[in-house]
Order: sequence, then C-alpha cells, then structure tokens
Amino acid sequence: MKSATAASTTAPRDVTSFSLGLALPLGAAFAIFFVLPLAQLFYLSLHNDTAATVWGLGQYIKFLTDPFSLSVLGATLLLGAEVTLACLVLGYPIAWLYQRSGSRVQTLIIMIVLLPLLTSVVVRTFAWIVILGRQGIINSVLQSLGLIGTPLRMIYTQGGLIAALAQVQMPLMVLPLITAIGRIDPNLSDASASLGAGSWRTFVKVMLPLSMPGIIAGCTLTYAAAITAFITQSLVGGGQMLFMPMYLYQQASTLQNWPFAAAISIIFLFAVLAIVALFSTLGRRARGYGDAR
Amino acid sequence: MMLDRRRLLTSALTLGAMHAFPGLSLAQARPLVFATFTGSWEEAHKAVLVPAFRKANADAAIVLDPMLSVDQIAKVNAAKANPPIDVMLHDPGPALVAIGQDLVDPFPADKSAYYKDLIPEAQDAMGPAPFFQVVGLTYNPETVKTPPTSWADLWKPEFKGKVGITNLNSTLGTGWLVEIARMRGGSEANVDEGFKALEELKPNLAAVAANPGALATLFQQGQIDISPGNFNAIQILKARGVPVEFVAPKEGAIAFKTTIHIVKNSPNKELAFKLIEAALSPEVQTTLMNSPYLIVPTNTKVAMSGEIAKVLAKDTAELKKKFVFQDWKKINEQRASWIEKFNRDIKI
Repeated sequence: MKSATAASTTAPRDVTSFSLGLALPLGAAFAIFFVLPLAQLFYLSLHNDTAATVWGLGQYIKFLTDPFSLSVLGATLLLGAEVTLACLVLGYPIAWLYQRSGSRVQTLIIMIVLLPLLTSVVVRTFAWIVILGRQGIINSVLQSLGLIGTPLRMIYTQGGLIAALAQVQMPLMVLPLITAIGRIDPNLSDASASLGAGSWRTFVKVMLPLSMPGIIAGCTLTYAAAITAFITQSLVGGGQMLFMPMYLYQQASTLQNWPFAAAISIIFLFAVLAIVALFSTLGRRARGYGDAR
Repeated sequence: MMLDRRRLLTSALTLGAMHAFPGLSLAQARPLVFATFTGSWEEAHKAVLVPAFRKANADAAIVLDPMLSVDQIAKVNAAKANPPIDVMLHDPGPALVAIGQDLVDPFPADKSAYYKDLIPEAQDAMGPAPFFQVVGLTYNPETVKTPPTSWADLWKPEFKGKVGITNLNSTLGTGWLVEIARMRGGSEANVDEGFKALEELKPNLAAVAANPGALATLFQQGQIDISPGNFNAIQILKARGVPVEFVAPKEGAIAFKTTIHIVKNSPNKELAFKLIEAALSPEVQTTLMNSPYLIVPTNTKVAMSGEIAKVLAKDTAELKKKFVFQDWKKINEQRASWIEKFNRDIKI
C-alpha cells in the first residue's frame, strides 16, 4: 500500500488531466462526419413510408416483430461469435509462441501476422475463393489423395465463410494478445510450477486470467470487424446467405426503402454496442483481476 | 481563449468545405457532369462517347462521374434545386424511381435528329435508351458439350450442382425470375410459378451469387458451368480467356433498356441534350457495337455486324423477334415482396 502511493507521486501526470482542447480537431471531425450523419440516419428511421413524410415507429416495429428479420440479426451475431471463437482458439497459441521464441522467430511471426493487413480485403477474399472453389487447392489435394470422389462444396457455405473471415480478421486478435501476454511476468508461471501446479493448471489459473485484457480487446475488435465485413460476407458467403450488412444494402440500394434501411442500421448498431459493452464490462472486471496480483 | 480557437476552427472548416465542394458557391460555371456506370461502361464512354460529344460541340467541358444508379438518385435528391449531375444513366428499375421522384426532365424528342430512328421500345418521352443490355444463357463449352437452347435446360439432371444464379438485388436476377415465370404461364404481375420453378431448381443450384459480377468469378473457378448471364460481361470474360459462351435461349433473350436522362434543374440542359444526341447517333452506336465494347445498339440505322450479328441478331427485325422486353413498371410494384420471399425461401 505504502509503495503504491509512493509510485503515484513520482508517476507521470495522469492522462485524463491534460486539456481536452487537444481532442478538439478529432472531436470536431467526429461531430461533423459521424455524429451528424448518425443523427440524420436516426431521424430518417423514424418515418413510416419510403418517402419519409409520415412520422412513426413503423420501421422498428416491422423489424422487431418480423421473425425473418430477427433471424438475420441472430445469424449475423452468431457468425461474429463463431469467427471470434475461431480467431481466439487459433490466435492464442501464436501469441503464446511469440513470447516464448527468440527474436528472429518473433520477427518472422510478426511478419506472418501483419502480412494479411498489407493486402486489401478484396484480394484476401478472392484468394479464399480460389482456395475453397471446386477446382481449388483443398479440393484438388483431397481428390488427388483419393479421399473424395466429387469436389466438396465449400464456397458459399457457413463453414467456408467462417474460415475466410477468421483468416482475414486474425491480426486484430493476435496483436492485442501478443501485447497482453508480453506484459505477464514469466516468473509467475515458474512460481506456479514450483508450487506444484501442472502446466494445464498454470495456464488456466495464472496465464489465462492475466491475459484476459488482451483476449477481451482482441475479441471486441474481431467481432465488430467480422459482423460488418460486407465484402467477405457477400463474396464468400454468396447471395443466399443473408447477413445484416447485405440486408441493409438490399433495402437501401435495390429497394430504395431508406427509412427501413436506416432502422436496420440503428438496430444493428445497438445490437453491436450491447455486445461491445458486454465485452468491455468483462474487460474492466478482468483488469481488476489482472491487477490483483 | 478556448472560444476563439473554436470559432477559428469553425470558420476554417467552413472554408475547407467550400473549397472541397465548389458546387456550394459556383453553380453555373461548371462543366457538364455525366454520371455513367463504373467498369466497362465508363471505359466505353470515355473512349467513344465523350470524344464524339466534344468534337460536335466545340470541345465543351465534360466530366464523367461514374457511379451506381442508386447513388445518382441519392445525389440528385440531396440537391434537387441545384443538382451536381446533368445527365443520368439508369437500368429500367431505377429509371422509374428517378422519374417517380420527379428528378428528370422530359427529353425534347422533337428537337432530336435521331430519336425517330430508335426502335420503338427504346423511345421514351422521359429519356430514350441509347443501349440495350441482353441477358441469355452462359455456359462453359469445355464441360457443357451440347450448347443449351432454352431456359428449361437449367433444370436438366445433368447440371446437378452446376447452375449459378444471382439473387434479386440485380436487374439481371429479377428480370430472369420474371422470364422463367413467363415460361410457365406467369407474368410481370405474377411470378409465383417462377418461385415454384426456383424450388425445383434447388438440386441443380451450385451458387446464388450476390451480384452478376460474382458469377464471372464462379465461372473462372469452375464452381458453376451454366447460368443466366449478361452478354457484355460474358464477352469481356471471353476476351480474357475464360472458357464461356453466350447463347440466346429460344424463349428470347431478355433485353433491358439502359436509359439516359436530363436531370431536372440542370444548369447545362442544352449540353445535356447534345450529349444524349451523341449517344443516340449511329456513329457512336456503331463504334460501341464493335469489339471490344459489344454494346447492343438501339438506332435502326446501325447495321449489325461482328459478334452481335453472329450471336444475337443480324438486323433490327430479327432483334425484335429474338428479344423479350419486360414491363418494369409492373415489376417494380412487387419487387420488394419478391426480394423478401427470395430472402426467406432460397436457401441451398
């Protein structure tokens, strides 16, 4: 306790005490280019007819009482959860390995993780079409090994879409994890081992809770990116798998039903905000957990 | 102190905005703005239509601003009194929306030298059609040995898991649904038979693409072997070495009008009219009909030649016999409910 107060007197100024004026340029840009259009969107969604002349909550009632629309929302949120889980399960070992490797291997891992970020999402998505297609890499390998007779259908399926999205969004998961795991004192796992805990128990009781802030940050980023990934969803998912971004596009672009599209956006926004809020609540609790060492 | 800075910033932002959007202050003295479509349309218009227009009009200033129909409508709607676009280009569905929202002026047909030469289907008081888009059957000649002849061939058992279609977001998808409904006794007002046919097509369906462009990728990857397709898009693929062929089905290839419109309250009405004249002229249409553009002409004075004469029609009479036109006014009435039904029912 005593050492904590001593540290706070010598520590640099708390960031929140700097003048808010420094945030003004970005704040103004946000107000003009984000808050204002958002308010306009909300205003538009409060109209019952496509020409936006009759006020009412009709669009929201239409969406929230329509089982089909709700199923689209559900499918989108579920897709995000599946992609996030895949990224977490595949990304955690990479971040772990990074902290346990020498500097040359670390550079290699960072290169591999960052490489996808240097190519456009469209290019990465097209690559997945080539990989998953009927004459794609996976199908031709399986066929030449004699494991399958006719090519498997992988493109335009939920599984194919999850694989593609997980790869496309992977850096967003791995980078926060690397930072979080890097902050864990390596002596802690040695201490846990010397006190008799097995490696699995050390992982569950020590490493996992301490890396929780990174997991939460990674999951929030991956989740938000996966559910809004219009390009990957439509190119690898195809035209019969409907998710919120495509639903919205269809209403606004093809049907010119802007008020309904606006209502869909607002509902989607709040659904995503709710999940991000959930993640950040978990994150705050995890941070308390992490500091309590 | 804070307040001063804020005021300074506000005025700086305003100045910046005026600089970024000169249309705010200088409405009159701007070049003619033509909103064409992106991709091959833009290329064709930049290479052929714009030079022809400038040559005929003393090098008048013109700007191509390629964007989707929807964006054109949104932009004009946002500034009806002082529109940022002078000439719009539309597919049949959006054209009716633009006309319905009172965004276009009637085309002064009596002033036009070419309007009377257009085939009747291309004549429209609110904006003529300088080009057709044609939808027929596309197939991979390496895997499909006997060329298909009818829409009904898509249901053949030999194409199990090989057929691609697009959803109804596109003009192509909606137009095709209407056509298969017609094949089974339906019409633009009733596509129930079309949906029944789609249900029966499910075992054959390999993919429902999100847009017609995605169909091209699926052909390239061997994901599909046969699909409804746009004549122009297929020719472009073919030129790039993808094994695809186009055939007009015996029920008739679907022809969509691409119409061109003068925007209401445009400050450049005279030049807008001149640009449309250039687009209707036999010279421009002839050039655009030839390789590599292969855009189907609407002016009867254009003699069909090349790939179009070979695959589609030798002359206007044959064109009218082989093409089917659809009533998009009727289609638009129910399109929303069809899209909803398609969203719900078509899962493969």
